[in-house]
Amino acid sequence: MLKKCKVWGICLLAFMVILSGCSGSAISSKKTASKGEEETIKIGMILSATGTFAPLTEGIRNGFNLYLEQHDNKLGGKKVEIKFEDDEANPQVALRKYRQLVSSEKVNLLVGPISSAVAYAIRDEVEKDKIILIDANAAGNDLSWSKKSDYIYRLSFSNWQNGSSAADYLAKNIGKSAITIAPDYPAGKEVISAFKAAFEAAGGKVVKEIYPKLGTNDFATYITEAAQTKPDLVYTFMTGSDGIRFVEQYNDFGLKGKIPLAGPMELGDQLIIEATRDNTEGIYSGIIYSPWLENDQNKKFVEAYKKKYSKLPNTFAVSGYDSAQVIDKAIKKAGSVKSADLSKVLKGISFDSPRGPITIDPKTNNPIQNFYVAKNTKKDNQIVPEVIETVEKVTMPETAPAN
Amino acid sequence: MSIFSIQLLTGLAYGMLYFMIAAGLMIILGVMNIVNLAHGTLFLISSYIAFTFISQNVGFWAALLLAMAGTAILGIIIERLLIKRVYGKELEQVLLTFGLTYIIADTAKWIWGTEMHTIAVPALLDSSITMGSMVFPIYRLFVVLVGCGLALLLWYFESRTRIGAIIRAGVDDRDMVSALGINVGLVFTGVFAFGAALAGLSGVLGGPLIGIYTGMDSEILVTSLIVVVIGGLGSWKGSFIGAILIGLIETFGKVWFPSLSMLIVFLLMVVVLIIRPQGLFGREVA
Repeated sequence: MLKKCKVWGICLLAFMVILSGCSGSAISSKKTASKGEEETIKIGMILSATGTFAPLTEGIRNGFNLYLEQHDNKLGGKKVEIKFEDDEANPQVALRKYRQLVSSEKVNLLVGPISSAVAYAIRDEVEKDKIILIDANAAGNDLSWSKKSDYIYRLSFSNWQNGSSAADYLAKNIGKSAITIAPDYPAGKEVISAFKAAFEAAGGKVVKEIYPKLGTNDFATYITEAAQTKPDLVYTFMTGSDGIRFVEQYNDFGLKGKIPLAGPMELGDQLIIEATRDNTEGIYSGIIYSPWLENDQNKKFVEAYKKKYSKLPNTFAVSGYDSAQVIDKAIKKAGSVKSADLSKVLKGISFDSPRGPITIDPKTNNPIQNFYVAKNTKKDNQIVPEVIETVEKVTMPETAPAN
Repeated sequence: MSIFSIQLLTGLAYGMLYFMIAAGLMIILGVMNIVNLAHGTLFLISSYIAFTFISQNVGFWAALLLAMAGTAILGIIIERLLIKRVYGKELEQVLLTFGLTYIIADTAKWIWGTEMHTIAVPALLDSSITMGSMVFPIYRLFVVLVGCGLALLLWYFESRTRIGAIIRAGVDDRDMVSALGINVGLVFTGVFAFGAALAGLSGVLGGPLIGIYTGMDSEILVTSLIVVVIGGLGSWKGSFIGAILIGLIETFGKVWFPSLSMLIVFLLMVVVLIIRPQGLFGREVA
């Protein structure tokens, strides 16, 4: 009996090791043969696979891999080898992983990071090593302003764009007084200050700004506080699990349907809609992407994505897809993978993304792109961010607006 | 109804949730002398199991029972196959259960992905009560009730039943209990399964409150370890009071000192450890 148990134990352990090995290999690098005369480029990916940002990373990688798969695993006609590193959203770890990728692996290009803190931490190194970094998510404004670099190009969006895009519509159509709730960290402050400036410029007034700690698991306090003040709308910037809990609790405490809830792109994204379903109904958001956007590329993208991953793509998947796409186009155009050549063509490069036309603004290295004011609406038993208004060509100002 | 009472109720609801988790951790620690670092992971797995059943249109209550049974079975497997081998070896126990957290959490990531999920509040409880200008979700009141009910049940179980007596005796003198002809191995397995089922219960009930996401396991483990430390070993009363204390401090801390709320919890733990190293209701250890 005991022997049997032992055998079983070993089997189970082996099984578990295999399982965890599988998940390990799923996130480790995809190797391609570098033999033959074909040139190979090495791309280093530095994203956050542990913690709050894990789902964002999954989206970006899925999108990137989809583009690769559709293009024969080649970018700019060259075979691609990806080296993936998890920075744990920690600038210290990121610097170490960065060194590893650049010094030991000798990658040609970098894609990443999720967190702006990481982006700021590796920014000087990138500048020193003269290596192109395609920013697939980090939204910190200063990457376009005081910390702009000839080697860093953002494909996603900036906090300034994200916060300001829907403000005008909200002030003119939903209400003049707003309470803002955002986590107490740089992105939260940047999004809210952009929202506040645009909202007040359009005749609105932010009556109260609330900043809970990042990673708060209960918003009851803040939600009841908002309810008592009775503003025309509540504007919240919440990502990941914070966003999901906020939306659920907004409903639990009876505010859904009473005080309109609005926010930047996150509140209209699949990541939150999929998890909270009907509770997101009626939320207004300024989005850059939805699977229901009408354009040819999006139709094909959504179809291919659904086929490969059997779920709808979110905004982060599009950022990943576009990161691959811009590398592909830039290498083709420059005819080289040298940073100096790539840097020249990346400035001002234009292409069609599933989210619409995109141009990298050479003044800010940030995409000029459409934002869509959307209202989450129930259609055929699912929540769809229905586009009410398109805000064309949202462009970041060249320098930080004076406060 | 004032903001104050809303916060009081919110704090209580979280306190009760922490109690349910910490109770399982404590009974395993108290009876078997094992710090089960995989306890938070059992909590996580239970939420995922319930989530899976609910998305297959199994009702909330059935999913709750299935998830509790599932975690209890997982607990039995872990105890029989792994922990049994390291009784009395503390370092090995810690390494083993710590390793398990990684293996199970990574397996969960592989099966369920890294996206967050939530469990919808069961229809029966999906409403709010309005008191004056304030609204409070009934589900949270329900969690408070379940927590109180569990405390009563555990008290009855411990002080009025034969199994309770065996467990109390086991805490005091394991060798003596086994000398009296009681199958200690079986008791241990039962206790471990029961502890795991409690983690399962809290995992499902916590789903609608805090969601399900990777990394939740370690957050929960830390909080419940603090509850056990503050409350004291081998004491339901301690865990109960400790959990309520933590729930309230977290909630009110957020209002009064928004950026310090987590710090205050740790501070409380430090103070308790200095003044009463055995915990608020723990017995003096010789």
